[in-house]
Amino acid sequence: MKKYDYSDGTLIYYLPKELDHYAAEKIKIGSEKVFESNDVKFLIFDFDKTLFMDSSGIGLITGRYRRVHDKGGKVYIVNVNQAIDKILKMSGIYRIIEKKETKEDIIREMVAGGYYE
Amino acid sequence: MNNTNEMTVSFSSNAQNEGFARMVVASFIAGTNPTLEEVSDVKTAVSEAVTNSIIHGYREKKGQVRINASVTGRKIYIEVIDEGEGIADVKKAMEPMYTSRPEEERSGMGFSFMEAFMDKIKVESGLGSGTTVKMWKEIGTAGRQFE
Repeated sequence: MKKYDYSDGTLIYYLPKELDHYAAEKIKIGSEKVFESNDVKFLIFDFDKTLFMDSSGIGLITGRYRRVHDKGGKVYIVNVNQAIDKILKMSGIYRIIEKKETKEDIIREMVAGGYYE
Repeated sequence: MNNTNEMTVSFSSNAQNEGFARMVVASFIAGTNPTLEEVSDVKTAVSEAVTNSIIHGYREKKGQVRINASVTGRKIYIEVIDEGEGIADVKKAMEPMYTSRPEEERSGMGFSFMEAFMDKIKVESGLGSGTTVKMWKEIGTAGRQFE
């Protein structure tokens, strides 16, 4: 299964079924070269397949957020289930990262912001 | 008559066992007839405690993480035990957002999540003497403080 997709400044992470410390470490290592060799302006965490997440997921998201935010980029979260939404709310992460229902909503916002034609 | 059900499981401090630990505990508490949300709460708390044992307790060293759990009626009791390096200042470790290893992008929310998702937790630790996290939760009492 593809873990991420990068094209034209936008990086999408397809998060695994269980996003714990074990999975988060693998994702961090696996995507390091994408961040090193590209200018990531938009970062999307896609939770479509994810059924479980703990605080390691929060660490993964905030760590990547810093890298993108420092360059003036934006981070989104999509397709979160109720259990994960509860954890994201408790963590306070929605103060810095925007949740969208679908990827189409994100693309619409990116188009409206003049990023895509 | 005492109808307490108990279990003990012990496994190597490998990160890949975090999922195994969650699954074992989730299966064990199934008899308390929890909601999906309650199962998820317990799994999160167990995952946080086991992850702490693996990355903070044992660091790169190998050791065993043990889980003792019991169910009495709808009351759940769980212990996560390691014989790792222990925590010098438990109070500080339990502060929200505190992490001893910021360079590794730890969120510092592990204990906060355990406290939020269980009814009560207690941490016993000391430098060189390992760590035991004790957690209690009664199923069906629905503390909905985060709605």
